[in-house]
Amino acid sequence: MTGLVRQVVVGQAVLPVELTPDAVTLLRFGAVTRNAHRIHYDTEFARSEGLAGPVVMAQLHGCLFHRAAVEFAGVGGRVREVGWQNRAPAYVGDRLVVTGTVQSVDVSSGAVTLDLVERCGAGGVVCCRGRAVVIPG
Amino acid sequence: MVRNAVLELVEERVRASTGSWERRSLGVVRAEDAAEFARAAGERAPHLVDPASADFVVHPMYVVSLLRGAPGAEASDFRPDGMYRDEVPGTDGLDVRLMAGGQDVRWVGEVRAGDLIELRRALTAVERKGVGEGFLLLTVEKVYGSARGTLVEVTERFIVR
Repeated sequence: MTGLVRQVVVGQAVLPVELTPDAVTLLRFGAVTRNAHRIHYDTEFARSEGLAGPVVMAQLHGCLFHRAAVEFAGVGGRVREVGWQNRAPAYVGDRLVVTGTVQSVDVSSGAVTLDLVERCGAGGVVCCRGRAVVIPG
Repeated sequence: MVRNAVLELVEERVRASTGSWERRSLGVVRAEDAAEFARAAGERAPHLVDPASADFVVHPMYVVSLLRGAPGAEASDFRPDGMYRDEVPGTDGLDVRLMAGGQDVRWVGEVRAGDLIELRRALTAVERKGVGEGFLLLTVEKVYGSARGTLVEVTERFIVR
């Protein structure tokens, strides 16, 4: 067990990480992951599906949760698990912010479980809830 | 076909295929592609975005975010909505709305540049959710591996409306 693990306490804050994906971000991310689903770039089609416009890919949400976990784990730490559930669509131009707290600390393994949430837009709507398991460095 | 009948057909299809594992190659991981992915995801750390960096690593989310490997798919492999016909089980040829429901990603090993990645996946659960016609929540288990064994395990959920 490292010295940092001993300093981690339940309820401790996870520092926020954020991303504001624009249309170019979604096009680049969709291209590199070979995701051609039209809800991510075709406004008219997205509206026909009951959405307000093109929506952020689930995997891009996942990347933000992963980054929050990496930054909490710190130098020399590692991320064992990241999970998230989509709760509401996030749209092009929405500011996405992941925050969280330490949910539990397993003293025997050094694993720290983080309770995470991602809020989007000016209203701070919860668009995803997530969790991560990290081994702090 | 009315919406409820379509969802019933999807449910019938997926229940018939539940537990059947299929395999798909995602090809060889290229450092340049992983770096491009990291940049597109907003990363700035040199060890993720610069393949020439001495401590470069493949972004852990890269492989699990890939829907297909190179060289991509044929035009006939896509649904009218742009999704791959076989991406969401039971929905091929049906006028349904597809949404991602989330993922649980568990890293077992490290994906490295040069790894030839094979994806195995199986639909493991289907649930009817919501009120009225509601929607289907499909759960798919995925295992990403290379010659070095299992690297990542994923539980992925799809919403079918």
